[in-house]
Amino acid sequence: MTSSYGTAALSRRGFLGLTGGVAAMGALAACGGTSGGSSGGGGGGGATLRLVAVADQQKPLELLLKEYTKSKFSASYAPTDQVQTSVRTQLGAGNAPDVHVVFPGDGSAMSMAQIAQAGLLADLSDQAWTKRIPPGLKPAFQKDGKTFLYSAGSSVIGAIYNKKVFQEAGVEPPTTWSEFLDVCEKIKKKGKVPIALGAQTQWVTQLITYALVPSTVYAKNPKFDEQMRAGSASFANSGWKDAFDMYLELQKRGYFNDNPNGTTLEQQTSMVATGKAAMAIQVSAVLPDFRKAASNADDLDMFPVPGADDANQVWVPAGVVVGLGVSARGKNVDEAKAFLEFLGQQQNMNRWAEAVACVPLTRDSASKIDPVLKSFLPFIDANKAVPFMDQNWPNAEIQPAHFAVVQELLGGRTTVAKALAKLDETYRKK
Amino acid sequence: MTSTLRPAPAKRAAPPGAAARRRRRGARFLSPPWWFAAPALAIYALVVLYPSLSGIVYAFTDWNGLGERSFNGLANFSKLFDDEAARGSLVNTLLLTVAIVLVQNAVGLLLALGVHAKIKSRTVLRVVFFAPAVVSPVMVAFLWKYIYNPSPDAGLNGILGAVGLGGLRQDWLGNPDLAIWSIAGMVVWQFAGYSMVIFLAGLEGVPAELHEAAMIDGASRWQRFRHVTWPLLAPAVTINLMLSTIGGLKLFDQVYAATNGGPGHASETLSTVLYKQAFVFGNYGYSTAIALVLALFVAAVSMIQIHYLRGREVA
Amino acid sequence: MNIRYGLRTLGLELVMIAVAVAFLFPVYALVTMSLKDQKQVAESPLALPSSPTFDNFSNAWTRAELGPALFNSTVITVGSLVALIAIGSFAAYFLSRRASRLGYGLYVLFLLGIVLPFQLGMIPLFKLVDEAGLLGTMQGMIIFYTGIQLPFTIFLYTGFIRALPADYANAALIDGAGHFQAFTRVVFPLLRPITGTVLILNAVFIWNDFFTPLLYLGGSTRETVPVRIFAFVGQYVSDNGLVFAGLVLAALPILAVFLVLQRYVIKGFASGLKG
Repeated sequence: MTSSYGTAALSRRGFLGLTGGVAAMGALAACGGTSGGSSGGGGGGGATLRLVAVADQQKPLELLLKEYTKSKFSASYAPTDQVQTSVRTQLGAGNAPDVHVVFPGDGSAMSMAQIAQAGLLADLSDQAWTKRIPPGLKPAFQKDGKTFLYSAGSSVIGAIYNKKVFQEAGVEPPTTWSEFLDVCEKIKKKGKVPIALGAQTQWVTQLITYALVPSTVYAKNPKFDEQMRAGSASFANSGWKDAFDMYLELQKRGYFNDNPNGTTLEQQTSMVATGKAAMAIQVSAVLPDFRKAASNADDLDMFPVPGADDANQVWVPAGVVVGLGVSARGKNVDEAKAFLEFLGQQQNMNRWAEAVACVPLTRDSASKIDPVLKSFLPFIDANKAVPFMDQNWPNAEIQPAHFAVVQELLGGRTTVAKALAKLDETYRKK
Repeated sequence: MTSTLRPAPAKRAAPPGAAARRRRRGARFLSPPWWFAAPALAIYALVVLYPSLSGIVYAFTDWNGLGERSFNGLANFSKLFDDEAARGSLVNTLLLTVAIVLVQNAVGLLLALGVHAKIKSRTVLRVVFFAPAVVSPVMVAFLWKYIYNPSPDAGLNGILGAVGLGGLRQDWLGNPDLAIWSIAGMVVWQFAGYSMVIFLAGLEGVPAELHEAAMIDGASRWQRFRHVTWPLLAPAVTINLMLSTIGGLKLFDQVYAATNGGPGHASETLSTVLYKQAFVFGNYGYSTAIALVLALFVAAVSMIQIHYLRGREVA
Repeated sequence: MNIRYGLRTLGLELVMIAVAVAFLFPVYALVTMSLKDQKQVAESPLALPSSPTFDNFSNAWTRAELGPALFNSTVITVGSLVALIAIGSFAAYFLSRRASRLGYGLYVLFLLGIVLPFQLGMIPLFKLVDEAGLLGTMQGMIIFYTGIQLPFTIFLYTGFIRALPADYANAALIDGAGHFQAFTRVVFPLLRPITGTVLILNAVFIWNDFFTPLLYLGGSTRETVPVRIFAFVGQYVSDNGLVFAGLVLAALPILAVFLVLQRYVIKGFASGLKG
């Protein structure tokens, strides 16, 4: 027993050191807190405003925040899911960041319509730039006639293709569906994968449907969304069935890589960038990463996916990009709104759009449009562009249901009829 | 081995009288005062108990997490029992848990025994085996998506091909029948070293004298393990089994980052369903009901486990 | 243990090294991708880098501003660990030695904390932290981690204290020492292996935790390392090289602590406990 006292003397010092540490750390943390307190607690006057956005907005926001001098911002960026979780929690608990990410339209838990409905977004309608929102895009920005979202422009969904592979196969970008199938066939004969598909990354599953539905549904019936809301239309009895059939036809003909459900976005990117695959049907927002992966960025170009056999009946998807909103219950509403007004100036919209490779909301002579997007402009200007489908969906469960049924279709675990029935059922929830 | 937390045997066995009173006072004299636990209880009540209890209220409302809410009684719970997706996820959760508990602990124990032996590289090897546990689970999943690349010449498939096991190549995350097992493999890789560390703490506590005595008695390696090491490892076994069971039942980050429940709903777990209901679909009330049922379920499993395992320890 | 380093041990050593090599493959994947630009990753992600670049590391350091973040992470982690070990070991000692219904009930109450899904109390706790004025502060995070990890800490400690003979402490008490002294001088030193385990396992959790600091520190200047690194993981565009390099940098301090701790625990066992 006595021997245990022998070791004890030594370790008592150890323990005291430890408890001393508590006090020291407490003191350290306390001074840390005082200097950090101003940014966390908010308050009036010259407070530092809190901004929380998704990682995809980091590049343009860092650029523009650097130049904005009227208020000081402290910004955090994070992956989409995590931002969604943390900002939803903060909104639910009644203290959201002064400026935070908001998704356009409806159909997701962080969408403009769903947050504005709860009265948690400040009204931006008195800002000058809101007068320039093109009429077709208003549902993405406005609820009940008031503007609650700032966004710099639209991105499009189309085929990002490797020009070298197209040249080797002796093909040109197609303008009709049958030409599109021909192009794929010729590439396949050359031993290359015609379309890289990374459906393991769930949001990628929706892109081919979204690329086709404007032509198979909206070109024929521009009122489809209203009819869906009214209950007089359904996915099952619409061009959605054609779009799913066409999607699966591409798979049946062997135009996708093997195992698309196990292939990730990163693998899809590298297939196109390195020329193992000819194209990927993707949203233009991924262009910067496709270019960084390619040995020569100029090898990549983009064309609208022709979802109809009559080139005049081809429409394209163009959705407003993820934007920002002002927390209505924040302590710094005016300062926060002033920042969005600054972002709404044409030259700042141009810069944001350039940083994320999207088409600016409104264009002037200084707007630099990414050259690969030029083939989409005629469609946008002719009002043959449709917002991404989920932006007009009434609840947030339909989009994930779409991801799941596409994976099940690609895996041969369901049928088109059952998939559409599932989507209709989910649409009618609540 | 000594005192137990079971309801005081002293109290029940003690006959009335002066001797008993003295003994009881003796026991009280030897047991630590209540204030040893007071700071812990205070912080725990503030950070965990109070918020969780006040959060339960939402389970009985139709709250979407943002706007107004009204009470809807037990509607969320009756919805849960008709929810096919939730039922499917329960099966996945149980399968994943069983696989993880068995394999992670078996591997962890073997690793611990290996690096507890007097091999020269044991310090370095401990760091190597523990290293995966140091990276955040979300990023481990992101990394493993490169390893689980389905193309025959990349990642794990490439290695299998190179060592002549090409027949074992798989569409690891894309095959709906395989996806949860691929996730389990990833989790075991990451946390076997975690279990190892806890087993090691147990092994460090096995007095060397006992081993030496057993050796002198001529006990074989297996006998020494079975009769000396294993009984003294009991606390570490209890801790590891319980932690991996609870971890398996609550598994979220790895699944969410690896497959997000896909392909289809093939790898959905209770936690991914709960998360999606709360933060993707905006059904906060319903998600709280799921959380509550999940908590009760995990608590029941843990209580059974601890009852059994701690009983074994004392015996 | 006076086992000689014989053939058997050599065999075991070789087997363990082989297992370690297999174990290290994903770590190799992480490191190799951190040394490549996006072109090289697209070409062949897991091959050895043809021309290794350290740009990712310098980017992680400067663009992600990991320097200040490391300071914040260290203060929060060390502060929480000290509180956890001090508060948790005392409580666990009480719970293991108090043979009463109350003691067992308290123990089960603490265990509940491991079982509860974090979502349950998330919104009420955020309100509480907000009202206490602790949003965006490191004290708030230290209190949070202490509370949230106490059940785990107490669970680990109790399991091992129960297996420890009570005689040592009892002897000290009979010799006239107080409970505080008996615990700090006699019992706590005997808990060295499990204290090491408690320390490293809690450290890993707190150091890596991403969601809580995003929730409580997002939009403040107190961001931790994971928050800074994850700022580069976008849905459409990610800087994966920077992220992988950041992860390597973030893992190193924890691994170093673990290495030192293992040495200490091994040495402690060899020299200290026998006495």
